[in-house]
Amino acid sequence: MLDNLASATTKPKMSARDVRVFYGPKEAIKGVSIDIDMDNVVAFIGPSGCGKSTFLRTLNRMNDTIPIARVEGDITLDGENIYSSSMDVVQLRARVGMVFQKPNPFPKSIYDNVAYGPRIHGLAPNKAELDQIVENSLVRAGLWNEVKDRLQDSGTALSGGQQQRLCIARAIAVDPEVILMDEPCSALDPIATAKIEELIHELRGRYAIVIVTHNMQQAARVSQKTAFFHLGTMVEYGDTSDIFTNPREERTRDYITGRYG
Amino acid sequence: MTITATFFLIAGLGLIAWVFARARAGRFIQSGVASVHSLPSYHGWYAAMWAVVPAILFLLVWSTIAPALGSYQVLESPLAAGLPTDAFERAAILSEARALSHNPDLKVFNDAAVKLAPLYAAADSKYAMIGALAAFLLCFAGGAFAFTRIRPDFRARTQVERTVMFGLLLASLIAILATLGIVASLIFETVRFFGMVSPFEFLFGLDWNPSDKVVDGQATGFGAVPLFWGTVFIGAIIAMLVAIPLGLMSAVYLTQYASANVRKWMKPILEILAGVPTVVYGYFAALTVAPALRSFAVSIGITDASSESALAAGLVMGVMIIPFVSSMADDSIAAVPGSMRDGSLAMGATKSETIKQVLIPAALPGVVGGVLLAVSRAIGETMIVVMAAGLAANLTANPFASVTTVTTQIVQLLTGDTDFDSPMTLAAFALGLTLFVVTLLLNIVALQIVKRYREAYD
Amino acid sequence: MTATPQASAPASRQTDWMGDAMQKRIARRYAAERRFKFLGLAAVALSSLFLAFLLVVMIGNGAKGFVTTEATLTIDLPAATGSISPDQLTEPRLAATMASIDVRRIFDQAVQAQYGDDGARYFASTAWTALRNQLVENPNLVMGKTSFWLPTSSDIDRAAKDRSTPEAERDYAALTKAGEVRQSFNMQFLTGSDGTDPARVGIWGALKGSLITMVVTLFLAFPVGVLAAVYLEEYAPKNRFTDLIEVSINNLAAVPSIIFGLLGLAVFLQFLSMPRSAALVGGLTLALMTMPVIVIAARNAIKAVPPSIREAAMGVGASPIQVVFHHVLPLAIPGIMTGTIIGMARALGETAPLLMIGMRAFTTTPPDGLTDPATVLPVQIFLWSDEVNRGFVEKTSAAIIVLLVFLLTMNAIAVYLRNRFETRW
Repeated sequence: MLDNLASATTKPKMSARDVRVFYGPKEAIKGVSIDIDMDNVVAFIGPSGCGKSTFLRTLNRMNDTIPIARVEGDITLDGENIYSSSMDVVQLRARVGMVFQKPNPFPKSIYDNVAYGPRIHGLAPNKAELDQIVENSLVRAGLWNEVKDRLQDSGTALSGGQQQRLCIARAIAVDPEVILMDEPCSALDPIATAKIEELIHELRGRYAIVIVTHNMQQAARVSQKTAFFHLGTMVEYGDTSDIFTNPREERTRDYITGRYG
Repeated sequence: MTITATFFLIAGLGLIAWVFARARAGRFIQSGVASVHSLPSYHGWYAAMWAVVPAILFLLVWSTIAPALGSYQVLESPLAAGLPTDAFERAAILSEARALSHNPDLKVFNDAAVKLAPLYAAADSKYAMIGALAAFLLCFAGGAFAFTRIRPDFRARTQVERTVMFGLLLASLIAILATLGIVASLIFETVRFFGMVSPFEFLFGLDWNPSDKVVDGQATGFGAVPLFWGTVFIGAIIAMLVAIPLGLMSAVYLTQYASANVRKWMKPILEILAGVPTVVYGYFAALTVAPALRSFAVSIGITDASSESALAAGLVMGVMIIPFVSSMADDSIAAVPGSMRDGSLAMGATKSETIKQVLIPAALPGVVGGVLLAVSRAIGETMIVVMAAGLAANLTANPFASVTTVTTQIVQLLTGDTDFDSPMTLAAFALGLTLFVVTLLLNIVALQIVKRYREAYD
Repeated sequence: MTATPQASAPASRQTDWMGDAMQKRIARRYAAERRFKFLGLAAVALSSLFLAFLLVVMIGNGAKGFVTTEATLTIDLPAATGSISPDQLTEPRLAATMASIDVRRIFDQAVQAQYGDDGARYFASTAWTALRNQLVENPNLVMGKTSFWLPTSSDIDRAAKDRSTPEAERDYAALTKAGEVRQSFNMQFLTGSDGTDPARVGIWGALKGSLITMVVTLFLAFPVGVLAAVYLEEYAPKNRFTDLIEVSINNLAAVPSIIFGLLGLAVFLQFLSMPRSAALVGGLTLALMTMPVIVIAARNAIKAVPPSIREAAMGVGASPIQVVFHHVLPLAIPGIMTGTIIGMARALGETAPLLMIGMRAFTTTPPDGLTDPATVLPVQIFLWSDEVNRGFVEKTSAAIIVLLVFLLTMNAIAVYLRNRFETRW
């Protein structure tokens, strides 16, 4: 499997080597190695329960919040091990942002939702700059024109698709280097989904993006690279076009052609 | 024959009816009748029901009217002719005579009672006898009626189940009866009270100095504002200043920080605080906390500090409320979706930032509802304030001074003999009604808030 | 936000996470985190410390309540009673013999002989009854000269345990020197009733009153509560009348307890002319208070029984009544029991409503029936707490210990039941 890791031309933004995750005695991730670079959107696909979300959560140490979870192996961000004691988890999560399956805006105003990250990390020295960050983030998330007149309304009052874009705006407000998206469209209707996919296109290149999805069409549409997970292992990782047209592994082919999943 | 003995005898007869009716119905099955509707034991229950229920109902009614019949017979006798005409004195003598007839060793104050006692004994035993006989007749009649109805096609089970259902309905009606009883008795006495003291004077008057004196049908000294203030000061201000921070922070620590082991031990320990009887808190407040606070106040130069300070009662009451606030806060925080917590942590917020800026604001309606419930409990709490707060109706915001509360005054007004014509007794009911209405409103509002909050996250 | 959005969006500013300012900020945030966590720990610690403090004070004060101080008194009974022959102490004549002995006079004379003219100050005013009890227990003592241990006056009792008047301290010192005083377990406290002499009071009278009251409460509140819960949960049609019942029950559960006392006073005592101070009325009043607690607990327990059980029973042809009484209720029993015990524990600790209906009777004998004047343990605590005599402090605390032992046991049983029988469907 290491051969396709070596094929990366630039230095990877994040790389994982032989990562194993245990929930108590149960091994949920069984030795996954992968490189993620700045230029591509990476999609994780696979049947439910295959460990793709679990693996995603190890990338910004969200598994720390589950007391029985234990992570082995190396994951590096810009060459620095994120599980080493010198890595600060608070800073790590600011640098590796996350968007969740269900939109989870805080019960605060739209403005405060976006300003939350910059405030806690102290990224804006004054009100004017904070305003600027909020505006930029909403612009990038493609939400500015819809909410610019009602920034003080509650974030929970928005529609589902708008809420999810608000969550993306919230994530990019701290100017992360990597954005992890855990099935960001599974709770949305097709129109809202299309908007989010469009947004992912626009964000590509500025951030390294990893998206978990169980919708193969979506993976094909938004990603340049795809990793197929099955039963806690990464079966295949390569260019999206290759994976979907000419998978090397039998299991990948079976999944893509809909034999199981 | 005593009422209790009659009860047991009737229960015994019911058992006999059950056994016989069941045996009789059992014979249908043995004799091979094709379509027996109900099992034999249902026929048994049916008969027992008819034997016992009417007789017991009759006994209950009889035991309430028999004493009056007895008194009537005694009054009719020539010996009673010499009794004083004053209704109150006569009633006193009669009740002494009756008590004496039950317990001959009793000391009595009226010699007339001694003469009447044997009459009472005779009259009471006569009516008890009549009652018992009638109850037995009813018992036999009911049992016999049920017995004649036992046939293979008789739907005994349906009948029994219908009765059981009626019993269930009756049981749930008790709650309505109790509520009605509370409302009716409070309103009835309060209306009488407002005949002597104007509602305006009661609700807005600043002078609380109750006495029995009624001048021109009006009583004075019933301005309850100092009581309301004292109640709010102790229950809603001082107690909450203790209970809200401690309860909320305890809930946050136990749910968000503590290890499973610590939580397993500390939660029940906090719950013990809620299980300690209020009289124990009251004693602790009066014995230990109040003197300590007083000497502390004197040491910092507050020379007029009272040994029955509002602070002592409020502090201890606050401690009592801690587990209550803590469990409400616990529930509210647990109801905040986990995704919100994850969202904040994924932004790189620390745990405390997540709690302070996301979890608590999100849980706020639930917490506020819980605090309102806690306030309603605190202002209705009696023993702590009776034992540790004072009786002086002061309008003061000095926590080291003595204030009095609504519940303290209710206990005070009703201690000793209660004369239902005195404005002091009736004032207790007016205070009770005020307390009832306020706690009810607080509860309704709080439950609404909590309910709407739960719906928001469902 | 005046500039047009598109134009003002700058290129990504890479944050300098390793910079000094950022590192200091992170350190500050972690310090705040530690402070916050410490505050939480402090809140839990403070709450439990208060509980510990309360218990320590009560046990510290109350432990002495279980101890009594006794002084010795040597009495030559044959000399005092004249000669009593052994056959006078056998069964048919024993009672008459004992009745003929004037224990009080013998006691007074012996005290005078041993401790001088004002020797009575050493002993409790009721010490002679203790002497009589010892004689009744062991009539053969009448035949000889014996040293009896008899309760001292409460001043000397307090001198032995704590601090007392100078005279009592001096007397106690003298007694100690002569070896004529000892401390022993205070059986009287567990078997006696209320009284005026703190050294001789006991809690049995109040405890028995509490037990009788609780029996009345349980017998009324339990069946009514469970039946009402069954009706509301299983059979009640959804209409306004049912809503009214539900609202009533929820309100009753939230009404301050003192209001129930007012209800008891106005309805049971005034309107129905029931006897004052009686355990019957106390039990009735507390039953009204406990019933909603049982209804709510029972409803939750019944609700927790899965519908599949009901469907299975219906499926084999059970009638609605049979479904509930044969299948649902037995499965809900542990939950109902837990709720009932908790409700009863609350009733057992309740004071205020019982004060309203006069259950503060000063009775020196335990109540024997439902209508006898009675008091209950919490009210007894309240009454003793009001006594001026310092000797009552330790008795109040000792009574509190007894009450807490009962309540904690009940709660422990409830917790045990909950853990033991908690079924996850």
